Amino acid sequence: MRSLLQIEQITVEYATESGPLRALDGASLNVAAGETVGIVGESGSGKSTLALTIGRILPAYASHVAGDVIFDGYSVFAHSTSEMRSFRRDELGFIFQNPVSALDPTMRVKYQLAHILDVKSSDPSIMSQLDRVGLKDVERVANRFPHELSGGMAQRVVIALAIARGPRLLIADEPTSSLDSTIRDQILELLFALPAQTGATLLLFTHDLRSVAKYCDRVAVMYGGNVIEHGPANKIFSRPVHPYTEALLKAAPGAEEIGGKIEAIPGRPPILRGRSEQCPFAPRCRWVVDICRHQRPVAQTVDGRLVSCHRAEEMASVAPACQIIGANHAS
Amino acid sequence: MGYLGYLRFAMERLASAILTLLGVSILVFTAIHLIPGSYEAVMLGPQAPEAARERLREKYGLDDPLPQQYMRWLLAFLGGDMGIALCRSQQSIGQQACENADQAPIIAEFARRAPATIQLAFMAAAIANLVGIPLGILAGLSAGSRTVRGSSRAISALGMGIPSFVLGTLFVYVFSVHDLGLTVGGYVPLSEDPEANLRAMVLPAITLSIFGTALFARTTRDAVLTVLAEPFIMAAVARGESPRQIVRRHVLRNAAIPVVTVSAVNMGYLLGGAAIAELLFSVPGFGWYVLAAIHKRDYAVVQAGVLVAAVAFVAVNLLADLAYAIIDPRTIRRGRG
Repeated sequence: MRSLLQIEQITVEYATESGPLRALDGASLNVAAGETVGIVGESGSGKSTLALTIGRILPAYASHVAGDVIFDGYSVFAHSTSEMRSFRRDELGFIFQNPVSALDPTMRVKYQLAHILDVKSSDPSIMSQLDRVGLKDVERVANRFPHELSGGMAQRVVIALAIARGPRLLIADEPTSSLDSTIRDQILELLFALPAQTGATLLLFTHDLRSVAKYCDRVAVMYGGNVIEHGPANKIFSRPVHPYTEALLKAAPGAEEIGGKIEAIPGRPPILRGRSEQCPFAPRCRWVVDICRHQRPVAQTVDGRLVSCHRAEEMASVAPACQIIGANHAS
Repeated sequence: MGYLGYLRFAMERLASAILTLLGVSILVFTAIHLIPGSYEAVMLGPQAPEAARERLREKYGLDDPLPQQYMRWLLAFLGGDMGIALCRSQQSIGQQACENADQAPIIAEFARRAPATIQLAFMAAAIANLVGIPLGILAGLSAGSRTVRGSSRAISALGMGIPSFVLGTLFVYVFSVHDLGLTVGGYVPLSEDPEANLRAMVLPAITLSIFGTALFARTTRDAVLTVLAEPFIMAAVARGESPRQIVRRHVLRNAAIPVVTVSAVNMGYLLGGAAIAELLFSVPGFGWYVLAAIHKRDYAVVQAGVLVAAVAFVAVNLLADLAYAIIDPRTIRRGRG
């Protein structure tokens, strides 16, 4: 399949009072057009930074140290400011965590859509956009202010804004974590129906493994500013190779047996001040050997997925079939 | 929520404004009655015979219980009768002479002085808004630059720190010594000679505007910075909006609330009469009149003056409240708690 997005060895640092903080440490990810990719990891693994880096909307205190993000053959870092703006406008659709705060509180929904579509607020295309995201009573929603909408309705509006210009890449950063659990699935169903309709590619950044297992074609697991395992969702969920992926799946709520307890991962995720010269997971890994502490693992293809682990081959041959969330993944 | 919601919100605000004013009126009335020296002693002098005092007390019902006197005063005030000034105010404060023959209704005295004060307030507010708000927007949008940050902080600290009597005195000195086209003093009503009027009013207006300018610049800057950090600004960037579109569509409106608030407070303060500027530049306004009344212990004027200033202050703030709900529709819900 043609590759739409190539993230190559991207490295991003934040300036903090105690010196630079490395949020992305040479992360790489290849996404084909039309795929739905779930990007999972703990808080601090670099998920959000990666999402923002694709649109070059990092805060001012962040700096792009090395690496590249290539969209449809062009580096986003090579764009001029105005090229970047039209790229964001026409090719990307961002969906953020808190839909109500992502909408201008002083502007009725129809005006926010009108601005994006470049039409008058009475234009019928506004209603059809709202209709497209499954909103009922679109006339009324169009005339409302964001605070008059429920979380679920607001997120539908945010999605309508994101897809209004038919972007090729949708980037959803924890789109459901601020919503009620009953609304969550409706929003995810809506989100994942879009790629099927429009051929868009969808990146879902989340810590909710269940939704990734349920909806995504592929999974990328992030740890210490790196993508440490990336491959088809069914493969990874049924048989994780990287020790961190395995631990993450076991630590997910719902993975425990009835009466059992959640297996937390001991230790803390690393705080990187510069390039990590070891495997970032080494201090917490129960399979750690000498080389893990001295050498950065290189991504290698093992069992149909990319894994950054020195003992990947070994792990693949011994890793027990994991009957966690992914077991009933149907794809 | 539609116009009904707005109407209800407006009614609630109006009711709360009226309550505030009632509170102020009670406070003023009580304060005046706490001052030593009874009305008849002030009116008739210390040597007046007891019978004369008795007559006066009887005439004005001064022996009635205070609540009853208060009600009488308030009702008269609402009917436009603010009482009689002890003396027609002279143009200078030092003058003690006060002839009873010159007694005049307070409301007429206020009405004579209101135009100058209102004109001065509007001019000063206009200068402060037109200079302060753009400065604040500029400072907020370029807050990343160290020079802008430093200089905007220094300028606003200076503007808020300099007392109006210092700046006013400086103007009086400079413009009295050199002929720079503006007159110091020499107030003429706007209706008589607009040009001479403006010539005389520019300096006091500038003097009064400096504090507001600095205040607006700082408030606007902080408001812009707060808005810029909001998630919906980041969302607008992510949708590819240009900086100009972001400022015009999102930043200005969202930053307006605190600016409208301080603008209203400033306007209310100015309408209450800016005594010092009026005094320095000989503008026969409301503030100066009340100040002179304090000097002459003309408590009826002070009492009425404070209440009129409070009405102006509360009215302007009520207008600001009503404006919020149009700028930021969330206000209506918040107001209801």
